Amino acid sequence: MKRKHISAIIILIGALIVTFYSGRMFLSMYQEEPIVTGPGVSSVVKLSTYFPGLEGSYGDTDVYIMKGREPGGSTLVLGGTHPNEPAAYIASVVLIENVVVKKGTLYVIPRSNRSAFTHNDPQEGAPQRFYIETPFGERWFRFGSRATNPVHQWPDPDVYIHAASGQQLSGSETRNLNRGYPGRADGTFTEQVCYAIRNMINTEGIDLSIDLHEASPEYPVINAIVAHERAMPIAADVAITMQSNEVNIGLEPSPVNLRGLTHRELGDSTETFAVLMESANASQGRLRGRTDEALVLSGVDPMYEKAADLGRLFVPYDENGHPLEVRVARHLFGIESFIISMSSYDGNKAMIVSEIPSYQNMVSRGVGAYLLPVE
Amino acid sequence: MYFELIIFLVMVAVFMIGCFKFKLPVGIAMVLAAISGSLVSGNGISVRHLIEGSFGYIDTILVIATAMIFMKVVEASGALHALSSVIINRFHKRPAILLIFLMLVVMFPGMITGSSTAAVLTAGSLVAPVFLMLGIPAVNTAAIIAVGGMMGMIAPPVNVPVMIIGSGIDMPYVGFGLPLLLMSVPIAIFTVLFLGHKYAHKTSYAELKENLDFDLDKKYGLLVYLPLFVVLSLMLLTKILPQYIPNLGLPLIFLLGSLIGIFTGERFNIFKKVKEAISDALPVLGILVGVGMFIQIMTLTGVRGLIVVNSISLPMALLYIGIAITIPLFGAISSYGSASVLGVPFILALLSQDQIITAGALSLIASLGDLMPPTALAGLFAAQVVGVDNYVQVLKKTAVPAIVINVAGIIFIIFANQLAGILF
Repeated sequence: MKRKHISAIIILIGALIVTFYSGRMFLSMYQEEPIVTGPGVSSVVKLSTYFPGLEGSYGDTDVYIMKGREPGGSTLVLGGTHPNEPAAYIASVVLIENVVVKKGTLYVIPRSNRSAFTHNDPQEGAPQRFYIETPFGERWFRFGSRATNPVHQWPDPDVYIHAASGQQLSGSETRNLNRGYPGRADGTFTEQVCYAIRNMINTEGIDLSIDLHEASPEYPVINAIVAHERAMPIAADVAITMQSNEVNIGLEPSPVNLRGLTHRELGDSTETFAVLMESANASQGRLRGRTDEALVLSGVDPMYEKAADLGRLFVPYDENGHPLEVRVARHLFGIESFIISMSSYDGNKAMIVSEIPSYQNMVSRGVGAYLLPVE
Repeated sequence: MYFELIIFLVMVAVFMIGCFKFKLPVGIAMVLAAISGSLVSGNGISVRHLIEGSFGYIDTILVIATAMIFMKVVEASGALHALSSVIINRFHKRPAILLIFLMLVVMFPGMITGSSTAAVLTAGSLVAPVFLMLGIPAVNTAAIIAVGGMMGMIAPPVNVPVMIIGSGIDMPYVGFGLPLLLMSVPIAIFTVLFLGHKYAHKTSYAELKENLDFDLDKKYGLLVYLPLFVVLSLMLLTKILPQYIPNLGLPLIFLLGSLIGIFTGERFNIFKKVKEAISDALPVLGILVGVGMFIQIMTLTGVRGLIVVNSISLPMALLYIGIAITIPLFGAISSYGSASVLGVPFILALLSQDQIITAGALSLIASLGDLMPPTALAGLFAAQVVGVDNYVQVLKKTAVPAIVINVAGIIFIIFANQLAGILF
């Protein structure tokens, strides 16, 4: 055997070992972290209930339903639209594990883009998981990607053309759940998930839809509510409530020329009040320094501190960062305020929801205090 | 001193030593630099991060590999030579017009795909023989094709760097047509005339005719052009009729074109051509894998953040200089990456300027990343298309157009509001 053949065989064996080892790590992202069904959860159904085309695919995700004894209004909370925005996901998990509904119905989809939890964005250096201490031990959660896993939808077009409007975006946005609404039954994997969520809102007659997000600190729409015009009176009331409790939050109207997002398309294509909330997450930003689990949890980042000193950010940033518990607390405060505000706005849509951790308690006690033990 | 700076210096040092002292291939030197960064930062040899980073270029790698196969096929089938002969025969009397026409042909695939690589490897390879027959030196030809591909990437209707910048600030891709035409077409025309006209002007048709071959055209008729027609049609139709024609992806389109090319012209051994194509492409594919790992480790360790924050920390007067230097330099990793990582913070730092003109100008400057070693995709593939071994020679020839692109980009940013007042 020639020397070059021996070299080739050695290199191939090395490549196989690396492939096997890294393949196992990538496949481990398919293992779903436990979400404990809390005392208020009356049933868990699959999203494919509202669009059978999703059945058996990785787009089919759990919908947690918390139904009160009294009929009333209904609210949908979308977590995990972008699994690299952990406060949005964790806030939805805290709702599932804690909230009790007395009047009306609360729907929570914690992993709205379930596929996006199964991978990380290349070249972003993100951690695969983060861990939260609880009184019962450690709970783990995945830090996923902004977009659907290419294993489930590929290849990306050069340009993503939003079907309903013809709007053009860069090709990778074709896998972004929050650019695919109102969705299509015969569309891409991502559009089908959007379609199922829209169908769910129409089928159940959901009155209020809150899409939870996080944004990088250099992004102008941050610590903010974005509201469809029909939802604006409620959103304004929520903003005032939060501001008066010293939780700084902005209010933005949903742009009419930016298509495919929940606050625009769900507001236009259903009767729901469509809103979106953003908190500040350094671990998804372009200016961030070392990227690791600590950054996800604490938000402490010297690069963002420097950028804040230079006036380049849209949120204050100091050595305390933006910890996960504060970001989750903001979302929970917002959700509770929206439900209360909608109940005042229209008595037919009134809901009574209890056990949502208060802002102060979440900030002082931390997320772990509101996570249940895993059986 | 930030620890991130030390990590970066270690990575750069390992890369330089690997490349220049041990004469390792660029891709391997990048891999070693990434591993060293991972080790110094305390992450060990993070296999997951290294592999994940390289997958950032999986689509680009597939496009390059399949485009190279397509190029070899249309070359072997005689389609390239036949087309060159027809073009020269038709337009030889007006060399300036011919050069501009050819440049627009080079730009076309870039305009519809947003990829300079696609433009260089398809239309670039089609018209390169024509430029060469016109007496333009190979190095100049490669430089023209490289800049043509880049300007195609910037020209409307599809400008991916602008879309990337826009998605970072929620700016819809609307109203960019005229500004992008203004930014791209004049520079493309300037480049082709600057680098080619003095040669094309001197070449007589009598000399040219000796190299032309009309037999292929007569023997196979329009059939010989079928692979080119199919590839360009599929590129175009998937854009203008997305509701009827599914997205096939450039790799599949190139493979379909290659498959057709086997039967539509001169006979050749397809296996030999595929092997040649992959062999030619392999060094570049290796570089992309290495660069992917390098950038993942830069992000993981905070080096990327250090670079970005320091780039935007310049005072306003120096900010323009910062843009002119850092965006092309970071583009060595990729022009798209540069648009995303630096383009977005820079446009946020320039909120007082018209955002459409500014985003377009930033994308124009970001296109220079395709001339920046070690990737320098446009320059490198243009060199391969014309058979120039050392792509650095090509990059040197692009120096003047590159300066023009950079200066024009900065001028567009400075006068963005005035220009917007005229255009909109």
